[in-house]
Amino acid sequence: MNATLIQLAASAALVALMIAVAGWARIARPFAPLDEAAARTLLAGEFPGRIPDRVWIAGDGAGAVARSGEDALVVYRLGDSWVARSMPWRLAMVAPVRRGRVLLKLRDPAAPMARLAVSGVNPWPPETPAEALAA
Amino acid sequence: MTLDPITPAFSPVDWAVPVFVVTIVLEILLARFRKARAVYEVRDTATSLGMGLGSQIAGLLTAGVVLAATLWVYEHRLFTLPMTAWWAWVAVFFLEDLTYYWFHRLSHERRFWWAAHVNHHTSQHYNLSTALRQTWTGGIAGTWLLWLPLIFLGFPPAMVAIQKGISLVYQYWIHTEAIKKLPRWFEAVFNTPSHHRVHHARNPRYLDANYAGILIIWDRMFGSYIPETDEEPCRYGVVHNLGDFNIFRVAFHEWMAIGKDLAGSRSPREVVGYLFGPPGWSPDGSRDTSATLKAKWRAREAAMPTPAPEQIAAE
Ligand SMILES: [Zn+2]
Ligand SMILES: [Zn+2]
Repeated sequence: MNATLIQLAASAALVALMIAVAGWARIARPFAPLDEAAARTLLAGEFPGRIPDRVWIAGDGAGAVARSGEDALVVYRLGDSWVARSMPWRLAMVAPVRRGRVLLKLRDPAAPMARLAVSGVNPWPPETPAEALAA
Repeated sequence: MTLDPITPAFSPVDWAVPVFVVTIVLEILLARFRKARAVYEVRDTATSLGMGLGSQIAGLLTAGVVLAATLWVYEHRLFTLPMTAWWAWVAVFFLEDLTYYWFHRLSHERRFWWAAHVNHHTSQHYNLSTALRQTWTGGIAGTWLLWLPLIFLGFPPAMVAIQKGISLVYQYWIHTEAIKKLPRWFEAVFNTPSHHRVHHARNPRYLDANYAGILIIWDRMFGSYIPETDEEPCRYGVVHNLGDFNIFRVAFHEWMAIGKDLAGSRSPREVVGYLFGPPGWSPDGSRDTSATLKAKWRAREAAMPTPAPEQIAAE
């Protein structure tokens, strides 16, 4: 048992060393905030065959929500990569905004919640309920 | 020479640990100084290495049961295969690798075992640290049972354990983008970085392919081989990527999703489908499986206008 514990402690120390080296190297993918064109390219890759009507971009460019029929197509940044899910558009429209972020419940244990930055230029929800009803 | 048939004379994985550390640091340094291709994101790396460390601990929890079952089967073995004969090592090399192929294929094609294996595929990166993103729930999923037929045949448990270790160490170095393609004869016979990149890709074209451990020949034999093509670079991860770097989410998210589905199921058929259907199975077919994703991809490819022969000739 003692030998196992020593082995685990040594492994943990080596893991810490490797993480430190990975952090120091700064070799992650470069990040550029999304604009509409970049968001559309990203959405096309994540939701092939779906044509989004309009795209809402998060205030910090680290996420986007697009409407496609009855669905909201959601993408958000994780580290140097992206996470994508869809959810009912009507639920996205009523998602709460807390501390400058809209909280989108994705109903998936693998990705429970997207938290996208809302700014004055890009308020949430992106259209008024009247507009949504008319669409 | 005598070798203990029960306790392995050495553990290939333990011996390889210093090699893991040195090569990961080396891969990072080569990428840092632009000598090789590798992408590391620090939190992703921490999650992968944390999963590796955690799997060592999780393995201890089921080790007793696995050992007891193995010893019981070995007591009731058909033959006694000598650990000192070269031909027995050749035989265990091929048979263990064949077992690994079917274990790995089952782990992708049936959700219950996918739940234990998916974590290995949750990184959106492909580097040496990804290799150490190992399962915590493999012992519970019971896939170790698949190796018991070898013990029943009469291969000593220590021999099988050493061969399993060799296979795991072999599969470590292929988790890299630094090596593009190896000589043709090697790519034809062995699992390589190129073949295993395809296995980690989420592009519909590449889904459910290249289950090989050491030898790629099994994929070629059983129809699951897909080569990597330059036209379509691999995009790594799972079809629905994880929402954060939480290590417990990596380890347990698919089990949680199964639990949620079972809680909402309305018939024995749904229970069986959610547990043992292909990942993505749903009663009304509203979710995507690998098969439907591939079919949709093929339909999109077929619908793409292909340039006429004269156009190609003119270019
Ligand atoms: Zn796999
Ligand atoms: Zn792998």
